[in-house]
Amino acid sequence: MKKPSTSLVHFLIGKSVLETLLVGALAVVTYITIFPPYFHGWGEITETGVSGWAVNNAEPWARVDIQLFVDGHFVAQSVANQSRPDVLAAGWSRDEWHGYVIPISALAEGAHEARVYALHHSGDGARKTLQLLGSPIPFSIDSNGKLLNARR
Amino acid sequence: MTAQHTDLLKADTDDFSRGLAIWEIASVVTSALIAEWVVLSFAGRSKLITAIPIGLALALMLYSHRHRGESWRDVGFRTDNFFAAGRLLLLPTAVAFLVIIATAWFTNHTLLTGSFRSRFLWLPLWALFQQYALNGFINRRAQLALGKGTRSVVLVAIVFALLHLPNPLLAVVTLIGGLVWGAAYQRQPNLFALSLSHAAISLTMALTISPGWLNSLRVGFKYFG
Repeated sequence: MKKPSTSLVHFLIGKSVLETLLVGALAVVTYITIFPPYFHGWGEITETGVSGWAVNNAEPWARVDIQLFVDGHFVAQSVANQSRPDVLAAGWSRDEWHGYVIPISALAEGAHEARVYALHHSGDGARKTLQLLGSPIPFSIDSNGKLLNARR
Repeated sequence: MTAQHTDLLKADTDDFSRGLAIWEIASVVTSALIAEWVVLSFAGRSKLITAIPIGLALALMLYSHRHRGESWRDVGFRTDNFFAAGRLLLLPTAVAFLVIIATAWFTNHTLLTGSFRSRFLWLPLWALFQQYALNGFINRRAQLALGKGTRSVVLVAIVFALLHLPNPLLAVVTLIGGLVWGAAYQRQPNLFALSLSHAAISLTMALTISPGWLNSLRVGFKYFG
């Protein structure tokens, strides 16, 4: 058997580089497929729950499925399909039907945190992922059960 | 150049050759792991993308054979020692066959729990490819790095078992199979005889052992879905 030379080393390095590029490309494509950077939205505390809007920029006419979590626990699922003319006026959407209102009840008195997520399906429905819309919403509940906005 | 310098140079060259052989094994194993774990988890069952790491591994193996001056005959694609290799493999294959049949009988109280699928027709070719990669390449490089004998055979078996994780039963079976086939190859390098033994055992397992036990022979990320 012949002794190996550096060309085999070059081949091995080239192969490693190609495989690294393949894995990197697959990771990026998968990330973008599962967590596409198309969702925008915002939420705020009202007296009875969380109100806000959600838009999928890739499909501006579609209604976004959303889920509300409070203190890390699932509370409700809804569709952002209510009228929000202010969102349209601000240029965030192509039509006004991107609002949502989700009531919150039966929470203990004290500080809490709400998070509203856009629900995204990929892989022909095989995968479901959640993307946070806006930022977490801190709020509290007073002794009368009234929701108070804790955001400064 | 003095004799001492010549000896040192030879030792360096041998170290380089051994290190390179280990690197070649690691590279082929990495490609297989990428195909089993990364491509399947990221790209689903896209055959086109799976073909990239497999194709790169195959290209490396072919290039390495050419580079090191190995012929197809050296690698084990030959017929002159087919019967000699077959004699070596007959007893372990028969024992494996009986153990599988007995296991199937005692666990299921029946023999045929699986059904014949058309993809089983590809089994001899698939077994030949696996035996080529495992013994025609990895075993030969393991012998370059660790010498002929127990250490290189154990390395071959560990690599073969590693590629069948996380399927626990299959990993154990392939560890034993890797030891037997690796040792047989070192005595009689014949890939056709090895692939027949491999295909016979795989087919027997697929048809007799409960699919739940083997998870339909699935390995890598596919094992979970």
